[in-house]
Amino acid sequence: MRAGDRLVMGAVRRNGPWPAVLAVTAVVGSVAELAVPYLVGRTVDAFVSRQPGGTPWLALSACAVAAVMLCESLGVWARGASGAHAAASLRSGLLRHLLGTGHTATRRFPEGELVTRAGLNAEEVGRAPDTVTSALALLVPTAGALVALTLIAPVLTLTLGAGIVLILLVLRAFLRATTVIAGGYQEVQGEIAARLVDAMDGARTIAAAGTAGQEARRVLAPLPRLRAHGMNLWRANASAAVQSGLVVPLLEVAVLIVGGFMLAAGDLTIGELYAAARYAVLGASLSTALGHLGGLARARAAAARVAEVLDLTPVPHGTRALPAGPGTVEFRDVTANGLTVGDLTLPGGSVTAVVGRSGAGKSLLAALTGRLADPERGTVLLDGVPLAELSRAELRRAIGYAFERPVLVGATIGEAVGDDPEAAAEAACADTFIRRLPLGYGTPLDEAPMSGGERQRIGLARAFAQGERLLVLDDATSSLDTVTERQVSRALTTDHRGRTRLIAAHRLTTAAHADQVVWLEDGRVRGRGPHHELWRDPAYRAVFQGDTP
Amino acid sequence: MNRSRAAVTLALRREPRRLVRLGLWSVLEAGPAFLIGHAVARAIEDGFAVAEPAIGLGWLAALGVTWLLGAVAARQVVLAVAAIAEPFRDDLLGHVVEGAVRDGPAVRRDSAAIARAGLQVELARDAFAAVVTTVRGFVFTVVSVVLGLLTLAPQTLVLVLPPFVAGLALFLTSLPALARRQRAFLVADERLAEAMTDVAGGLRDIEACGLHERVAGRLEGQVREQAGAARALARVTAARTAALAVGGWLPVILVLAGTPWLLNGGVGAGVIVGTLAYVTQSLAPALGGLVQGLGVSGVRLAASLGRILSSAPPDRPDRPRIRPPTSEVRLDAVTFAYGPRSAPVLDRLDLLIPEGDHLAVVGPSGAGKSTLAALVSGMLRPGEGEVLVGGVPAEQVDPAARVLIPQEAYVFRGTLLENLAYLRDAPRADLDAAVEAVGCAALVAELGGYDARLDPAALSAGQRQLIALVRAYLTSAPLIILDEATCHLDPAAEARAEDAFARRGGTLIVVAHRLTSALRARRILLMDGAQLTIGTHDELVRGAPLYADLAGHWHPEPVS
Repeated sequence: MRAGDRLVMGAVRRNGPWPAVLAVTAVVGSVAELAVPYLVGRTVDAFVSRQPGGTPWLALSACAVAAVMLCESLGVWARGASGAHAAASLRSGLLRHLLGTGHTATRRFPEGELVTRAGLNAEEVGRAPDTVTSALALLVPTAGALVALTLIAPVLTLTLGAGIVLILLVLRAFLRATTVIAGGYQEVQGEIAARLVDAMDGARTIAAAGTAGQEARRVLAPLPRLRAHGMNLWRANASAAVQSGLVVPLLEVAVLIVGGFMLAAGDLTIGELYAAARYAVLGASLSTALGHLGGLARARAAAARVAEVLDLTPVPHGTRALPAGPGTVEFRDVTANGLTVGDLTLPGGSVTAVVGRSGAGKSLLAALTGRLADPERGTVLLDGVPLAELSRAELRRAIGYAFERPVLVGATIGEAVGDDPEAAAEAACADTFIRRLPLGYGTPLDEAPMSGGERQRIGLARAFAQGERLLVLDDATSSLDTVTERQVSRALTTDHRGRTRLIAAHRLTTAAHADQVVWLEDGRVRGRGPHHELWRDPAYRAVFQGDTP
Repeated sequence: MNRSRAAVTLALRREPRRLVRLGLWSVLEAGPAFLIGHAVARAIEDGFAVAEPAIGLGWLAALGVTWLLGAVAARQVVLAVAAIAEPFRDDLLGHVVEGAVRDGPAVRRDSAAIARAGLQVELARDAFAAVVTTVRGFVFTVVSVVLGLLTLAPQTLVLVLPPFVAGLALFLTSLPALARRQRAFLVADERLAEAMTDVAGGLRDIEACGLHERVAGRLEGQVREQAGAARALARVTAARTAALAVGGWLPVILVLAGTPWLLNGGVGAGVIVGTLAYVTQSLAPALGGLVQGLGVSGVRLAASLGRILSSAPPDRPDRPRIRPPTSEVRLDAVTFAYGPRSAPVLDRLDLLIPEGDHLAVVGPSGAGKSTLAALVSGMLRPGEGEVLVGGVPAEQVDPAARVLIPQEAYVFRGTLLENLAYLRDAPRADLDAAVEAVGCAALVAELGGYDARLDPAALSAGQRQLIALVRAYLTSAPLIILDEATCHLDPAAEARAEDAFARRGGTLIVVAHRLTSALRARRILLMDGAQLTIGTHDELVRGAPLYADLAGHWHPEPVS
C-alpha cells in the first residue's frame, strides 16, 4: 500500500464515530431516496383506483421522505465534522513534524508548496471519508434508478443511456475549452498585479509627486482586456451550462413520451409513469456521481503529497547539557556539502571574521557553527561537547543567530526580540527607532513598516537577547548605513558579556576589528590569521574590492 | 457593511437597461417552470389516459420546445448577469488599486498581500454573479409555479404553499447564524493560512532561535480554532439542509395526503402528477438554488466585500496646490511622532535652508533623516510647528515645485522615455542634456535608446536610481530632495550625479548614505538622536565628536 493511501486509511480510522455515521446516513439516505418515487407512484395509483391500500402506501412514502430528510441533514453535519477533525489532526502532526525537521524542509520544498500541503492538501485528505461516502450516496440511487427504470420498462433505460453519454461528452468538451480561456484571463490578472507591485515599490515617489491618480490609471490600463477575457469565460460557461442543463429535461420528456404511449396501451399506470420520470432524473445524475470518484483520486494525490513531507527526517537531538565554559568552538576535521573546514578553533570570547567572495561557503560555515546544518564528516564542539549531543533547548539557549534577511516571529516587536528586549535592542542600535513606532515595543509586527536595515537590527537584537555563549552573524549588517554599522560593530567587538562571536561579512572594517580572520575560497580555507597579516596577500585584498560598500 | 451595500446597489443600478434585459430573458427562462405541470397533467388526462396519444405527444413536445427556449434564455441570462458582474469587478479592482497606490508609503504591503486582494476581488465577482443569478431564478420560478398551480388547480396551493413558505422562513431565520459561522470560518481559515505561511518562511529562524515549542503551541491553537469553526459551520449547515428538506419535501407528502380530497373535488390523476412535477421539478430546485446562493455565495460576497472596501482610506479632498515664490525651506519648532504613544522623531526642530543652499543631512539610520525629507516634501504633516517652503505650508505646495527622490527608485513597466518623462514632458534636447549631466548616457545606450521597454526587475538598483535621477533633473522644480537616492551607485557615479544637481541651481537637500556626499555640500546637518548640529565640514569636524569620528573613520575604507 502506498504511503498516501495509508494516510487516508489512518484519517478514516482515527476519526471516531464519524465515518460510521457517514456510511449509515449515506446508505440509508440513498435507499430511501431510491424508494420515494416508487412509493409515491404506488400511493397515487392506490388513491386513484380507490383501493384501500392508499393510506399504508402514504405512510411508507412519508417514512421514506423523513429518512431522506434526516439522512441528508445528519450527513451534512457528519461530513463537516469528520472533515474538520481529520484535517486538523493530520495538519497538527504535519506542522509539528515540519518544525522538527527545521529548515531542511525549505531546502526540499518551496515555502508556498509547504503551505499548500499543510493547508489545502491536508484538507483534501480530511475530506476523504466524506468523498467516499458521497460517491456512494450518489452512485447507489443512480445505479438503483437505472435498475428501477429497467424493471418498469427496458425501453426507457435505453432512452436514458443514450442521453447520459451525451452529458458526459458535453462536460468533457466544456472542461477542455475553459482551461485555455482561463489562462488568458489569469495572464492579464498577473499583468495588473505586476504593475501594482511596481507602483507599491515606488510608493514614496508617487506620494511625493502627487501622481496617485495617474498611477491608478496606468495600473488598470489592461482592464478592458481583462473584461474581454472574462466575457469569453462567461460565454463558454453559459454555453456549456445550457447544453448540460438541457439534457436532463429533454431526457425526462423523452421518457415521458415513451412512457405515455405505454400508458395509453395500458402497459403502465399513472403512478408508474410518475416514478419512471423521477428515475430518469435520478439516473441522469450519474455524471455527478462519477465526479465524486474524481474527488477520491484527488484525495489520494493530496495524501501522497502530504506523505512526502512526513517522509522528511527530523533533526535528532541529544540530551546533554553544557558544562561551564567560555564558549569555545572547535571544528574537528569537518567537511560538509562541498566545504572543507578541517580543524578550526574559535577561542572563547574571541571575534572571528569569515570573509570570502559570494559562494565561497561563508553561510555554510556559519550554519555549521550553530548546528543549523550537520557536517558530513567530523564534529563541531561547543565547550568540549559535540553539538549533536546537546539537547535542543540547551543548544539554542547557548547560541544566538542573526541573518541577512531575518524573519521575525512573534506578535509584537518586543516578542520578536525576546526576553529583556530593551537592552538587546539598544546594543543593536534598534532601541531608538523601535521607540518611535506607533506603539513602541508593543507594535504588532504586521503594522510596523520596516526597512531592510531596521529589520536586520531587530534580528541582531534577537541574537543578542538569546545566545548565552556564542553569537553567529551571517551577513547580518549588510543593509545598515555606514554610521549605524559602525555603532553596531562597536557593540559587537566590545560585547560586555564576553561571548564568542563568528561574523560572516563583506566589509573590510569587520575583518580589521576581528581577533582572527578565516578566509574562504571555493569551499576551502584559503588563509587564517589576523587581518593585518593576511592583508599583505594581494589575493586577500582583492576579496574586498569587488563588493559594494 | 453600508459601503458593501452601496457598491452592490451601484452595480445593479448603473445601467437599468441591463436589468430590464435580464428580467425579460428570465421570464422566458422560467417558461418550463410554468408549463411543466400543465403539460404533464394535460398529456395524461387529455392524451395518453384517454387513448389520444397524439394530444399527449403534442403537450410533451410543447414542453420540450419550452425547455429549448428556456435554455436559450438561460444562456442570455448568464451573459446579462456577466454584463453586470464584470463592471462590478472593475469597480472593486479599481478600489483596491487606488487604495494601494494612495495609501502610499504609510502601509508597505508586500506582493503577497496584493495577490490576496486580487483573489478577494475574484471571489467577490463570482459570489455577486451567483447571488444575482440564484435570487432572480428563485423569484421567477416561484412566481411561475404559483401561476401554474393557480391555473391548473388552485386548491393545491393550500397543500403546497404553507410547507414551502415554512421551509423558506426557517432558512431565512437561520441565515444570520449561518452568515456568522461562515464568516468566522473564513477568518479562522485565513488566519491559519497566514500563520502557516509565516512558519514555512521562518523555519530557519524558528530553528535558530529555538522557538519550536512556542510556535508549535500557537499553531496548534490556530488549527483547533479553525477545526472548531468548521464544526460550528457544519452544524448550522445541517440546520439549513433541514430547512431545505422541509420546504422541498413536505409539499410532496401533503399533496399525496390530500389526493383523496383533491380527487373528490373533481381533480384528475394527471393533475396530481402535474402538481407533484411542479414541486419536485421546479420548486425544490429553486429553493435549493436560493439556499446555496444566499447561504454560501451571499455570505462569501459580504465577507470579501467587507474586506476589500474596508482596506481603502476615505477619499481625501484635493489639496490646494500653491506654487511658492521662492524655494527657501523653513522649519519652525517642528515636532513629529509616528504614533500618539511613540517617542518623537523630531522634537521642536528649527531649521532654515535658504534658497539655493546645498545641504547634506548626515546621521545614523533612525535619526529622522527620511522623516525630515518627508516633512519638507509635504508627505507628512508636523504634529506641532510649521514646515514652510517659500512661505507656503509644505503640504499645500504644488508637487511640480519640488521633487523628492527616495532610496527605492521607482521604475515601471513602459518605455525608457515614459519613465524619464514621468514628471515632465521635456523636449528631446533637454532630455539629452539631463541624461548627459547625470551620467546616464551609457545606460541609455546599453538599454537600446529611449524607446526601449523596461522590465524593472531586470535592472539593477543602481540603474533604477540613475533613471530616477534623470527624471528629477528634468523637472523645473526649484527644490530637490535626494533621500539616499544615490546609495546604489558607485562613488564616482554618485559624485557625478550630485555635482550635476549642485550645478543645476535651486535648493538641494541630500540625505547622505555615505559621508562623501556631505563633503560636497555647502552645509551639513548632523542628526543624532536629540542632538542636531549644522555647519560646514570644517566646523563639524572641530565641534561635533561623532562627526569627527565618522570623518576620521571614513578614509581607511578603500571601497567607499
